Amino acid sequence: MIRRGFQVAARLGHHGALPGGPYILPRFSPASAFGSSMDSLVSRFCQEKTDLKNYTLPNASWCPDMLNLYHEFLEKTKADGWIRLPSFKSNRNHIQGLKLPLALTVTSDKSDCRIFTRCIETEGQGYEYVIFFHPSKKKSVCLFQPGPDLEGTPRFAHRGSLAAMIDETFSKTAYLAGEGLFTLNLNITFKNLIRVGSLALLNVDVEKIEDQKLYISCVAQSADQQTVYTKASGTFLQLQLEEDSSQY
Amino acid sequence: MLRSCTAALRTLRALRGRREGASPAARDPVLARVSPGRGAAEVDRGVGLSVRNNPVIWRWFSTEKVIPKDHALPNPSWSKDLRLLFDQFMKKCEDGSWERLPSYKNSKLVKEQLSQAQLFTRGYEDGLGFEYVIFYNDDEKRTVCLFQGGPYLQGVPGFLHGGAIATMIDATVGMCAAIPGGIVMTANLNINFKRPIPLCSVVVINSQLDKIEGRKLFLSCNVRSVDEKILYSEATGLFIKLDPEKSLT
Repeated sequence: MIRRGFQVAARLGHHGALPGGPYILPRFSPASAFGSSMDSLVSRFCQEKTDLKNYTLPNASWCPDMLNLYHEFLEKTKADGWIRLPSFKSNRNHIQGLKLPLALTVTSDKSDCRIFTRCIETEGQGYEYVIFFHPSKKKSVCLFQPGPDLEGTPRFAHRGSLAAMIDETFSKTAYLAGEGLFTLNLNITFKNLIRVGSLALLNVDVEKIEDQKLYISCVAQSADQQTVYTKASGTFLQLQLEEDSSQY
Repeated sequence: MLRSCTAALRTLRALRGRREGASPAARDPVLARVSPGRGAAEVDRGVGLSVRNNPVIWRWFSTEKVIPKDHALPNPSWSKDLRLLFDQFMKKCEDGSWERLPSYKNSKLVKEQLSQAQLFTRGYEDGLGFEYVIFYNDDEKRTVCLFQGGPYLQGVPGFLHGGAIATMIDATVGMCAAIPGGIVMTANLNINFKRPIPLCSVVVINSQLDKIEGRKLFLSCNVRSVDEKILYSEATGLFIKLDPEKSLT
């Protein structure tokens, strides 16, 4: 969920101030790593009982491939351990009751902000996607259908939109699998372009977790798995959110 | 990126035409783009056949009705930092060493002529998404992008989404590759994030061409604050020159 990266200036604490003043990052506490903590992370994240609009429900713009795979994975949520992640307009909505460590809050946070991948409201025009997460396997699958507003080369999705989708899927997976909060690195190799309106299937795996870093990889391919669109890897910094008793 | 680089090159030639004292039509990047027969559907409102078949009159008609908006110019949402930087770079353009790249949103009329980033990054109301302008220096083979990311590009609450930064890095580095390389496609982007970028702040993205090996172009890029004191990201890019005859997939 939280994906802005910064280097382990955390360790040194004085690489010049972050906006908002000098800071020292809190140390990540290994004691609260995985296991039961992942269950609580997931349940807190996936608050299905909410007034907020959940963007991962099917709509009329979804192509047949997307609908078919969606229903296939929905079946898997019943018995195979998969979880469908909800998706709200702002990351704030996913972390109600939690907040960034104090040194990282900034005055530029406004209530009318939207997460980049949910900024286009009209169905089918921008990012249509849903992420399924498997806690024990530490993997995710993202069904992504780029709309015409994401066009770069005519009739194909802009590479930046795919990079954003990969980063977004990485972020949610890294957070739920091990409180990975900030992107440290993103490495994407583009192989083929994705046609606007078609489905891209992103398979994401957490490779390892060590030294306060989470290593994650992704292969994006067509629904029939005949075409590989991209291969990507990412590194995330683990950092815990703090309890927040105040209302947003 | 195929058509996008063709578009970039056309823009380049149009701008150069202006510099070298070419005809008024060639000098204006918009006029240079419009050709007879294109966009007939757009302006076909009682325009007779004789007009449409007359290149000179058709060109006049087309540009009179459908001049696209150049988004790479200041608007009310631009912060003071962005305006100041813009003015500084416009001064650098005066001696011809730097050029500003115009930036148009997609429309039927100019659909085939656009740079890659234009629809995706220009589809927002002023100030909500990507506000940016790219300058290039042909002698030094580098591009500079002045970028202000708005509230609809959020990732971590209060900060810019990694994907938004990746998009702008790709646009800036891509333009830097297209100028010497012609029609190119991104093969790889490797981005190291050093610090989170606060939403609505202005950053400067510098990209340069490091080397060319056959069809491969190696570029590097950094993202800094306006005063250059904060390094937000560093990136490298590998682009491949394409054979214009080959299809995209």
